[in-house]
Amino acid sequence: MASKLGLACGIPERRVRPIWDAIDSRQFKNALKHCTTLLSKYPNSPYALALKALVLERMGKDEEAFSVCLNAKELLYTNDSVLIDDLTLSTLQIVFQRLNHLDMATSCYEYACGKFPNNLDLMMGLFNCYVREYSFIKQQQIAIKMYKIAGEERFLLWAVCSIQLQVLCGNGGEKLLLLAEGLLKKHIASHSLHEPEALIVYISLLEQQSKYGDALELLTGKFGSLIMTEVDRLRLQGRLLARGGDYAAAASIFQKVLELSPDDWECFLHYLGCLLEDDSSLCKGANNDSTYPLKLMESQVSHLTDEAFGSRLSNASSLVQKLLTEASNDTVRCPYLANIEIERRKLLHGKGDADKLMEALVQYFFRFGHLACFASDVEIFSHILDLDKKTKLLEKLMECCESISTCPRKTLGQYITVFKIQNNVGSMFTLPINELETTAIKMTEMYCDNLSLSKDLDAQESMYGEDLLSMACNLLVQLFWRTRHIGYLVESIMILEFGLTVRRHVWQYKILLLHLYSHWNSLPLAYEWYKTLDVKNILLETVSHHILPQMLASPLWADSTDILRDYLRFMDDHFRESADLTFLAYRHRSYSKVIEFVQFKERLQQSSQYLMAKLELPILQLKQKANNIEEGEGILESLKQGVQFLELSDEIKSKSLTFNEELQLRPWWTPTYDKNYLLEPFEGVSYCTGQTLDDQIKKSQVKVVKTLEKRSLLPRIVYLSIQCASSSVKGSVEANGSVFDPKLSSELRLLLDRYANVLGISFQDAVGLAFDISSGLKDAEAWSCNLIDWMNFLVFLNAWNLYSHEVDRDSIKHGSTWLLVNSILKKYILEKVGLMGPLESSPGCDLPNLVLLVTEPLSWHIMVIQSCARLLLPSGKRKKKGGPSDHCNVQLSQQVQDSIQSVCETIELVRKWLNQQISKSDKAESILSSLRTDEELGPGKVYRVVETLTSSLTIDKDLGDRFTQALQSWSPADITRKIITSQGTALSNFLSICDSKIKSLKELKAHL
Amino acid sequence: MTTIRRFSCNDLLRFASVNLDHLTETFNMSFYMTYMARWPDYFHVAEAPGGHIMGYIMGKVEGQGESWHGHVTAVTVAPEYRRQQLAKKLMNLLEDVSDKIDKAYFVDLFVRASNTPAIKMYEKLDYIIYRRVLRYYSGEEDGLDMRKALSRDVEKKSIIPLKRPVTPDELEYD
Repeated sequence: MASKLGLACGIPERRVRPIWDAIDSRQFKNALKHCTTLLSKYPNSPYALALKALVLERMGKDEEAFSVCLNAKELLYTNDSVLIDDLTLSTLQIVFQRLNHLDMATSCYEYACGKFPNNLDLMMGLFNCYVREYSFIKQQQIAIKMYKIAGEERFLLWAVCSIQLQVLCGNGGEKLLLLAEGLLKKHIASHSLHEPEALIVYISLLEQQSKYGDALELLTGKFGSLIMTEVDRLRLQGRLLARGGDYAAAASIFQKVLELSPDDWECFLHYLGCLLEDDSSLCKGANNDSTYPLKLMESQVSHLTDEAFGSRLSNASSLVQKLLTEASNDTVRCPYLANIEIERRKLLHGKGDADKLMEALVQYFFRFGHLACFASDVEIFSHILDLDKKTKLLEKLMECCESISTCPRKTLGQYITVFKIQNNVGSMFTLPINELETTAIKMTEMYCDNLSLSKDLDAQESMYGEDLLSMACNLLVQLFWRTRHIGYLVESIMILEFGLTVRRHVWQYKILLLHLYSHWNSLPLAYEWYKTLDVKNILLETVSHHILPQMLASPLWADSTDILRDYLRFMDDHFRESADLTFLAYRHRSYSKVIEFVQFKERLQQSSQYLMAKLELPILQLKQKANNIEEGEGILESLKQGVQFLELSDEIKSKSLTFNEELQLRPWWTPTYDKNYLLEPFEGVSYCTGQTLDDQIKKSQVKVVKTLEKRSLLPRIVYLSIQCASSSVKGSVEANGSVFDPKLSSELRLLLDRYANVLGISFQDAVGLAFDISSGLKDAEAWSCNLIDWMNFLVFLNAWNLYSHEVDRDSIKHGSTWLLVNSILKKYILEKVGLMGPLESSPGCDLPNLVLLVTEPLSWHIMVIQSCARLLLPSGKRKKKGGPSDHCNVQLSQQVQDSIQSVCETIELVRKWLNQQISKSDKAESILSSLRTDEELGPGKVYRVVETLTSSLTIDKDLGDRFTQALQSWSPADITRKIITSQGTALSNFLSICDSKIKSLKELKAHL
Repeated sequence: MTTIRRFSCNDLLRFASVNLDHLTETFNMSFYMTYMARWPDYFHVAEAPGGHIMGYIMGKVEGQGESWHGHVTAVTVAPEYRRQQLAKKLMNLLEDVSDKIDKAYFVDLFVRASNTPAIKMYEKLDYIIYRRVLRYYSGEEDGLDMRKALSRDVEKKSIIPLKRPVTPDELEYD
């Protein structure tokens, strides 16, 4: 920042430097002193004032800073003798921006540009202001002005980018592109073109208008050489040719690219696509924003005649042969894989031979089978084979592993590959239980036997065979799923923990572990492992899904708050700085990045996870304050009584959300955050196909949108419920002295209607269903998947009814809604507690929903109770007894007291269960004993492989110090202790939530 | 099997399997975006079949006169794609851009003195240890400044090792 010095407002540099130096070294008090001195000498200098404002803002004195800024602004506007320069304005701009008054900075620049119409520095500053405000039209206008003054190419490109932004991110129609094109044409005629990025933008402009011929002309003309890397230019040329429909020419261009860079797989697909006149690979290739790459490569069935198809593919084969001959070493894999792709295309066309495809796969395996990425390279190819061929392929591959044994590392890699392919084609899910177990044992043994291969590696480097333990874990989890024997779960945890003892940096193990611990209600331990992944910055957007959803349904409120806050801080920081980075791209003439940055910011702003976090943080705060209605109301106050989120709910419906989570790193049993196969019965292999996965992802996205809509209504509904409840106390005036507005009641009714609609039912039907279920007329099955939402609905229904009495009138024979809520909450909480086995032997038990029942519907109900109770409290001011309103209040008071009694009893039952769980002593032993079965079939065998390796008698000292020490330090007892402690921590947190609820209810009752 | 192309913002949403590695730093957004905005030709990503990100390289070009040089800020490869010379391909690309497009004299990089595997790899790629930078990493660990001369440095002057170690404040560039 010190470099910004200069003769601003006529103040010499030597007077300003100490201030900037002090700011740079964060000595703000000192800086302020210097400012005072400067101001005594230059009292009317806007620059001196701007500096003072800057220092004040850094000191956290926002209001003072703002008022000093306004003084400076005033001086700029009124004092004609004052000089206006960019340094003053940009300093003011910094402060205004930090104080969230971008508009003020903009108007300062606008004023200055009006006063000094041809000053480029000021105009650039103004352009920057518009970039910050995302005012694309104004950006364009000022850029054009600058271009007219200076005639520089960059200003023209600024205008062109601003036009593209209007079309891509604003409301501008496509016709605007024609304007941009015209500007560029005219400029080129008079000034030529000098920057590679300008050419790229020009071509993209033409491409957007489908003017491929014009774009090609430009690229192949004299300006083409601006793109200095030949393959980049050729790739672009190929794409334009293909999109323009000239497939033959495109194919020959892609062929050139392949000759120059034979390992470019995407280019090969383009080449093949063009030969077969199918440009699907090109259409999605240009801007592939999916974070979940499609498992299956889509390619259309070719419309070519058999003859043409055959001859084109034989051309492709010749090219591949040529590339293969020229490939000097084994680092070029593309031509080998290309052969397989050619066979696949033949099969798709009905002219292929599956045996040939298999043969090509085997050949590829011979050469590259040891590479860790082999299985994912060939995944799409194995899918086209039928079950019988898949089995044959696996047999052949296994034979290869057994036949070649030149290098143990290669052999190990090949075995791992075969296991992975078995998994990819689904055959791991068709194995009988004993074979599954045998395979898991084999994998673990292989890992142990090959440890020595890695003994000379640095501790930081990934070891040979690390995948084996992840794969063994996956099988053990499947065994657990199929047999429900907890020992397999323990075993899967043990081998991952063991793997992390050997090398503690394996993030793949950590992710598996954290999901296993989450499933087993050891969330604190899961969170510990999550923290070791060091998820920060943009990874918060793509990786948080591994832990956040579980945390939000847990009693670990402090940790959940931390995660949400960190995430929101990151996102909001980015939104704040993103425009400045866009301007940086403008300044450095990276025009294509300008567009990219703005689109990326929009993508993040529409992130479903971001919206979710924005909603869940205040809801979490509300849950934490629910025992004290005044504090709860404070939270609601800060959310504008929930109105803020109602607006968000409209936004959710109007814009499409983005889903940026990287789901492919999730374990197979929980492919999305709302799905856990382990909670369902085993149904064989069907779930693991690519299609099922895609369907599951789509389903969960639809669900997310619904959840967001529901949650965005919640704060407002809670607020209105409190209002309606307090209005039910007759003769009372509300806490703030105002009279209840009946509109609030009708608003609540409307929102409940929306809430019910999100649950897929009308309000009337929802009420009817509630009474029918409560009186046993209907089965509660209808509620099961949205239990918490339904309970919330009932609580709010009761609150609404306290004012409107409409439900009682309609369904008087069923009794009051107080009774309904009390009994149903009790019923379901009791049911949950009853089904909850001992935690250490009940993985997957429904603790999260029990926690949610207590911390959401029950908490909202307690708020409703408090809202009535605080007005029913006896006070000296109460008027004489005996009136009709008193009679109502007596009745209400009784209902409130009954409700308190009922809620207390309900929570007591939860507490009782929690206390029993916490005080149990033999838990660790029961976990370990699950591994010691005497049965032929049963868990423990994989674990024993590890046990054998680590027992002090058998540790092979040749493994080197690092491994020897690691093996010696392995302690399964520690792991079980940690699990028990972690489960205990979660339970204790829950217990203290229950305790505080009981305590506050008892206090309330004592006063009634 | 590598399609190497310019790194784009959307790649930030797909690189977790690379960045979860404990040796790969996940920087703040302005860091990545500044590199994209200022040196887009020095920031490349390698993609595998199916669109998985294999690894990426980020760097810049800076300096004056004979110290005009390319700099490798980070190069990283996901575990699944290691041991197939991908880092080498990415490094060669950056060297090529520095050499042919920007006509730089040399390429340099910093590496933790303890990161033996990386040092070995750079040595294989013809980088030499130019000098040691004392307590370069968070004021604790020493860094090694490694260099490789490009065609413009005909006499290979840029890579004559310094005899004494330097301190971070003696460095010409960050």
